[in-house]
Amino acid sequence: MSKIILCIDMDAFFASVEQQSNPKLRGKPVAVIGSGKRTVITTRSYEARKYGVKTGMNVHETKKLCPHIIFVVGNNEKYTHTCREMQKIYLQFTPDVEVYSIDEAFLDITTTHHLFGGPEAIGHSIKAQIKTQFGITCTVGIAPNILMAKLASDIAKPDGLRWIKPEDIESLLKHLPLKELWGIGSGLTEKLEALGIRTCGQLGRAPASLLRNKFGVIGEHLKAMGKGLCNRPLYVREEDPKSIGHSMTFPKDLSQRRDIEAEILKLSEMIGRRARRYGFIGRKVSLTVRYPDFETFSKQTTLPDYTNHTHEIYKNAISILESIRLKNSVRLLGVSLSNLIKDCNQMLLFEEKRREKALLQAVDAVNDKYGDFKLIWASYLKQTEPPRVISPAWKPSGIRNINVRK
Amino acid sequence: MKLSVTKNEMLEKLANIQNIIEKKNTMPILSHFLLSAGKKGSYIIATDIETALKEPLEANIEKEGKLCIPARKLFEIVREVDGDISFESVDEQWLKVRAGASDFRIACLPHTDFPAWPSALGSGEVEEVTIDGSMLLEMIEKTIYSAGESDTRYTLNGLLFHAKPENRSFTVVGTDGHRLALIMRQMESEVKEDKKLIVPRKAVSELRRFLGASDEEKEKQKVRISIGDKHLLFSVEKIEFLTRLIDGSYPNYENVIPQSNEKKMSIGKDIFIKVLRRASVMSRERASAVRFDLEEEKLTVSSSSPDLGEAKEEVGVDYKGEKVSLGFNARYMLDVLGAMTSDKVVLELQDPLSPVLVKEDGSDEYKCVIMPMRI
Repeated sequence: MSKIILCIDMDAFFASVEQQSNPKLRGKPVAVIGSGKRTVITTRSYEARKYGVKTGMNVHETKKLCPHIIFVVGNNEKYTHTCREMQKIYLQFTPDVEVYSIDEAFLDITTTHHLFGGPEAIGHSIKAQIKTQFGITCTVGIAPNILMAKLASDIAKPDGLRWIKPEDIESLLKHLPLKELWGIGSGLTEKLEALGIRTCGQLGRAPASLLRNKFGVIGEHLKAMGKGLCNRPLYVREEDPKSIGHSMTFPKDLSQRRDIEAEILKLSEMIGRRARRYGFIGRKVSLTVRYPDFETFSKQTTLPDYTNHTHEIYKNAISILESIRLKNSVRLLGVSLSNLIKDCNQMLLFEEKRREKALLQAVDAVNDKYGDFKLIWASYLKQTEPPRVISPAWKPSGIRNINVRK
Repeated sequence: MKLSVTKNEMLEKLANIQNIIEKKNTMPILSHFLLSAGKKGSYIIATDIETALKEPLEANIEKEGKLCIPARKLFEIVREVDGDISFESVDEQWLKVRAGASDFRIACLPHTDFPAWPSALGSGEVEEVTIDGSMLLEMIEKTIYSAGESDTRYTLNGLLFHAKPENRSFTVVGTDGHRLALIMRQMESEVKEDKKLIVPRKAVSELRRFLGASDEEKEKQKVRISIGDKHLLFSVEKIEFLTRLIDGSYPNYENVIPQSNEKKMSIGKDIFIKVLRRASVMSRERASAVRFDLEEEKLTVSSSSPDLGEAKEEVGVDYKGEKVSLGFNARYMLDVLGAMTSDKVVLELQDPLSPVLVKEDGSDEYKCVIMPMRI
């Protein structure tokens, strides 16, 4: 028996939420941006899309296309709250819910849909509840796997519902351009086109050996995608993360060494704190630097021992910084901790180390109670606010649940 | 320089220095060893700056001389050739090697390039102690596993040699901050004052090679340790092994050894090892966490991992006291048991959050402390 997967994809999520909470914005081109000076568009309303406004454009570019567009600084708390509340709606219909990102979710209703009158009935019911409760719309895609469910919702957007049944897949994919398929980006499209593969149908018929030679292990996976097959299960439980990282674009390029170091300390603290909260330790630290011309590179170092200590992360990120000669000022900095394992609660033999650990716990406890960065290392004082643009990878539970600020 | 030497003698002496010579090409001279051929005696010196080894070479000297020879290359040659080998230097630049019908010519460096062997062990007074070679080997084997490998607290990446004047005691300690091993023995000689020396792990590990108790002769072998400001020199017969000391203060190990743990459990070592190995199959990731549930006459060892499953085993023990449960890294416990030589071992515990003392049954000289894991 094939599965029945529902994909719930919010329509212009951040923009819709803003339009809903401020009636003056309704029916108008709206773009949600971050708070910084150098922000880009995270979401634009359907009205703005008509003018060719795209996600990732900066304010200047956007105004050229649509002079009367209204910019709204995103209120992340509204979005995360809405996301959490919507999860409750999904859970009425099945326990197998994967909140894929802040505005997308997958539901496995294979074994429960008959209780609610079938897949379409569930889809309509979810749409209605979201509309009533939040006043915003979403699109529902129904299909035998998440790849096709996502495609169904993409086709039916906005405010639609589409069911791709197993027997419809072949004819639907036959002439579908590759880039319409979830997971095939422009780079991959180019490479495939070089092989003469332009549609999903062609991809599905392409010889497996050709794809394997060109793309290695993912070759066969690509062929399966061309046939509309996808065996990725839903991750309904929070998986252990592979890395914990943060990056920040600064309102002004940093050229002073001291400023760069202070930002690295701040990023290190954000990472260390998150790792400590969820009980992870890691032994690889990497530093990412972006110059004003967008040239970006990362370097990493492996630590002698696992850690989630802010200062250890900071020290290692700084040693990476010292190993590179910055050729320009810095637009973006990123730090991440990877090679993670669960902190196994091994207790420490020596008082000095125990006190160090206790100090970190105390600092974390103060910051949990009074807010992030209330108790901080002195060198971090007088710094800019942490970033306010929410990552689309935000999730309502687990390690991706980053506290957003009011 | 011109000399001849048997294959076995040369092979053995070259094998001894292979771990010391520098493999990374940062300082080319360190990938060479110094061969000094003298009619009154010949020797080889190799160094990586941290440690240095000087060993005698049995050879027939036709013409005296000194030369720096690439250690790895000559080792490879000696391994492959048959019969006695003759060496001859050419202009302090080349070494001609001849064995049977094989001829080699190796590019060498002049002996003046080689780092000088520190003649005095620092400016201060040099003290000397003498201890039994096989005893020192035992002390190293029983502690080295618990030393840190690449801890950021660099003093833990060595073993502490602690010599006390009052009772002629000599103690070796290793710890990585989670567990600690300590062994105490008596010295024959005396030190004037308390000596705390931190010897790098790599050096101690190399030193083991020359302390092997493989035959009768070595059984009675004495090791002379000369203590300098920054160096230690170990002399075993004609071999001299020099190491730099780690500068810094070692944590106060005496404070973390539990003195009054009331709950005492004893168990056969071999069965304990088997039980732990079986239970740790199912423990998660690297941490190897196992749980101990101890009650009268019975220990239950269990492990579980959310993705894998569970393991559980009961084993009879000598224990009379109230129930106690605690978690351990099985690896730490297995390391200790692997180093112990008695048939039975004793665990002294207090509560789930206090350090546990592991000892060989009937002896107080070897003590291991393991911090539990929170369960």
